[in-house]
Amino acid sequence: MKVTVRFFARFGELLGNNREIEAREGISVADLVKEAASGNKAGYDTIFDEEGAFRDFVIVMRNKKRIRTQDAGSIQVGEGDEIAVFPPVAGG
Amino acid sequence: MLFGEEGQEQLQDATIFIAGAGGLGSPVSIYLAVLGVGTLIIADNDRVDQTNLNRQILYRDQDIGRRKAAVAGERLQEVNPDIMVKAVDATIDQHTVSSLTRDADGIVDALDDFPTRYLLNKAALEKEIPLFHGGISGFFGQATTILPGKTPCLRCIIPRPPPAEVFPVAGVTAGFIGLIQATEVCKYLLCRGDLLAGRLLLWDGMQGRIEEIPVETDPDCEACAGKYKGRS
Ligand SMILES: [Zn+2]
Repeated sequence: MKVTVRFFARFGELLGNNREIEAREGISVADLVKEAASGNKAGYDTIFDEEGAFRDFVIVMRNKKRIRTQDAGSIQVGEGDEIAVFPPVAGG
Repeated sequence: MLFGEEGQEQLQDATIFIAGAGGLGSPVSIYLAVLGVGTLIIADNDRVDQTNLNRQILYRDQDIGRRKAAVAGERLQEVNPDIMVKAVDATIDQHTVSSLTRDADGIVDALDDFPTRYLLNKAALEKEIPLFHGGISGFFGQATTILPGKTPCLRCIIPRPPPAEVFPVAGVTAGFIGLIQATEVCKYLLCRGDLLAGRLLLWDGMQGRIEEIPVETDPDCEACAGKYKGRS
């Protein structure tokens, strides 16, 4: 099934902003983002910690609705979904 | 006059607290001063450094080494002698935040760290005044307007502090996001238009794209959970 993963800001610079992905049925949001990020270690490491969990400041949206990153491992991706991943920034 | 006599009076009667006189605080304060916001309170505890000058447009080469609050106060008063400028050389912390925001009708978040932003968020919730949030890094930024009791609070939207920025901020990004914040203040004080309320604006200067995402109240929010139960 076709899904879109969108990386914002610094994540997008490292991983590409828009990624059309042919995903397998039943894949979780967390695994989808991991696969999409796997090509670039720096990008992967800014999103995921050493245990492979989302870093706690990362915001993940599924079809414009926020999902808790703790739940992303158990939420399945559906056909045509858009998953957006972005880092809030702290500077001023 | 763009806002009419009544609008200009509404601006004249307002007091806005600007937390930070750096990259965001510079454009926000300059534009609110020329707009004619009657009282501007701006706080910063830092000195002007040469490395600030590429984005902190309140300061000039000759100001290097001086206290930011002192310079900001002078400059804003030069920009508009008809307003009251209170530039405070102070650290914003849990002890000072309530006195700094006491008279404010709104708080502009022009800080560069989230723990202090959460203090502003708490003050805004307690006083039930808006918090105009902005954050920047490199060519990226975000902004939203928090209306206590009506929108999610800053902690609902960004519950965990992002790491301190290691990337330098482009001056144009500070200008861009700062002017969004100043525009929000202007609209709020004049009761016009649609505020960025319940929406988080994301700016990607490298791609030249603005996105916005809807934000929701977090029932488990550390800052506001329970506070507005049954009200919004
Ligand atoms: Zn909240």
